[in-house]
Amino acid sequence: MNVWVAHSEVNPDTQVMNSQRIWLAYIILAGLLHVVLLSIFFFSIPVVWTLTNVIHNLAMYVFLHTMKETPFETPDQGKAQLLTHWEQMDYGIQFISSRKFLSISPIVLYLLASFYAKYDAVHFLINTASLLGVLLPKLSQSHGVCLFGIKNTEGWGWG
Amino acid sequence: MATAAEQWVLVEMVQALYEAPAYHLILEGILILWIIRLLFSKTYKLQERSDLTVKEKEELIEEWQPEPLVPPVSGDHPALNYNVVSGPPSHSIVVNGKKCVNFASFNFLGLLDDPRVKAAALVSLRKYGVGTCGPRGFYGTFDVHLDLEDRLAKFMQTEEAIIYSYGFATIASAIPAYSKRGDIVFVDRAACFAIQKGLQASRSDIQLFKHNDMADLERLLKEQEIEDQKNPRKARVTRRFIVVEGLYMNTGTICPLPELVKLKYRYKARIFLEESLSFGVLGEHGRGVTEHFGISIDDIDLISANMENSLASIGGFCCGRSFVIDHQRLSGQGYCFSASLPPLLAAAAIEALNIMEENPGIFSVLREKCKRIHKALQGISGLKVVGESFSPAFHLQLQESTGSREEDVKLLQEIVNHCMDRSIALTQARYLEREEECLPPPSIRVVVTVEQTDEELERAARTIKEVAQAVLL
Repeated sequence: MNVWVAHSEVNPDTQVMNSQRIWLAYIILAGLLHVVLLSIFFFSIPVVWTLTNVIHNLAMYVFLHTMKETPFETPDQGKAQLLTHWEQMDYGIQFISSRKFLSISPIVLYLLASFYAKYDAVHFLINTASLLGVLLPKLSQSHGVCLFGIKNTEGWGWG
Repeated sequence: MATAAEQWVLVEMVQALYEAPAYHLILEGILILWIIRLLFSKTYKLQERSDLTVKEKEELIEEWQPEPLVPPVSGDHPALNYNVVSGPPSHSIVVNGKKCVNFASFNFLGLLDDPRVKAAALVSLRKYGVGTCGPRGFYGTFDVHLDLEDRLAKFMQTEEAIIYSYGFATIASAIPAYSKRGDIVFVDRAACFAIQKGLQASRSDIQLFKHNDMADLERLLKEQEIEDQKNPRKARVTRRFIVVEGLYMNTGTICPLPELVKLKYRYKARIFLEESLSFGVLGEHGRGVTEHFGISIDDIDLISANMENSLASIGGFCCGRSFVIDHQRLSGQGYCFSASLPPLLAAAAIEALNIMEENPGIFSVLREKCKRIHKALQGISGLKVVGESFSPAFHLQLQESTGSREEDVKLLQEIVNHCMDRSIALTQARYLEREEECLPPPSIRVVVTVEQTDEELERAARTIKEVAQAVLL
């Protein structure tokens, strides 16, 4: 789906993550976050990387696994009303390239963060918890799963 | 936390890697294996289950017998033998070459053949041409459209109105613009086909309540309230609507609007009122069922009516608060994706509104005539009158059905044919029998217009009585 071209895509949310330019924008944004955190002079390097990891995972969780439906009205009478963005991607087809990319990027960030923290135990705990929180909703078994049994609600829980 | 001593040196970092704790390295190993697994997984759809083997699929394909594209229909189906009207279907109508008094067309105020309305339409025709050739967003908005919307909003005393180019599409586009999947709509069983199609397009949960039965509606609302209390989060985002008609097309009865407004405020639902038959009929100034009951128009969230009855034009309108109506300018499918109303019809509607505003006495005259013929038609053996006494479109149903709908339809058609022979043009109410949600019983629909004289009303009542006696006994 190209934006300035006529298309019959009813819900653009399904296609937005598929373009490689979005991936580049995402990488640049993550890099920007890291640079901003680096510029805060009283944070040490391990703290900066852990903070980058945690904030990145938190943002990813909120945008991809928490918010339901679309920020705009779609002409399909709200078919995606109970779906998070992750579930809406490409109409639920698993293991497409954008899902692979978005699953691998927090892992890469985690590997870098643990390297720069010199494998410290406290940082390990924080980073691992944050990584699990953002990897578990991405499993194909998590599709449609409701967190804490809160079914059919708008805006909370993955699934 | 950061001191000058904690400086980043590559050698130190790599040294830290060699001294890393084992659990951490194992976890990282697992993660790298996970990355490799992700990279080599094939895409698949989640619900791809096909329980049939190839052989079974072949068998099914061989067994299948296609249905004919056009199902066989008997030769005397009414859709194949229709009456041909020559000339305008105004007070006297020429059907199949025979001149009759028109008791079938919804020309309540007689504006169909009005010279003023025709003159206004002709002026507009000469100015704008015939059609608009475009939807409202694509150079299809003319000043007459904006004028008509203004005038309708002022007439109904609401903030804004919106025009549709086809009466059926009005309510069928308005409902899905607001009600989506997961929303709940409580609708009367006798709702007309246009409302049913709008509800089907909306994909919402439909709850039907018995016709005009407020106790049944309250029961449904209470059940929904109990459901809401179990899941308050979901309830907060679910919209609830009540869709009713002012005067029902299928039964000629009026909706109990005061009770509905009370229920609306108690159970927090929004009311959509479809006023196609009551606009230009009820109320002191013809504003419809809200004026009839003396209810403030702000209590009703959306009023929708078609202009094909009292206003003798084509198309429909919705009126209400500005922020409600404005939403339809982008979400009303019939508004955005259909060509706009031809300007000559809009000008005709404006002139019709002028006439309605100049003589508000015609509404009570119409209601008097309705009451008169309603009374005169009481006591026919074999037929019962269904509808309010002041409703200009009411039904005559068989008192005792023969048991099969086709037989009933045939009997009623005989009555209609005999009446036509005696110069009274009547029609049966027709439905798409397989598509209707709750199919009403077959009936003859009698329409009263303000142009019919008292003598003609008496003659019609007498004719129907005699014919019914002859046919049904």
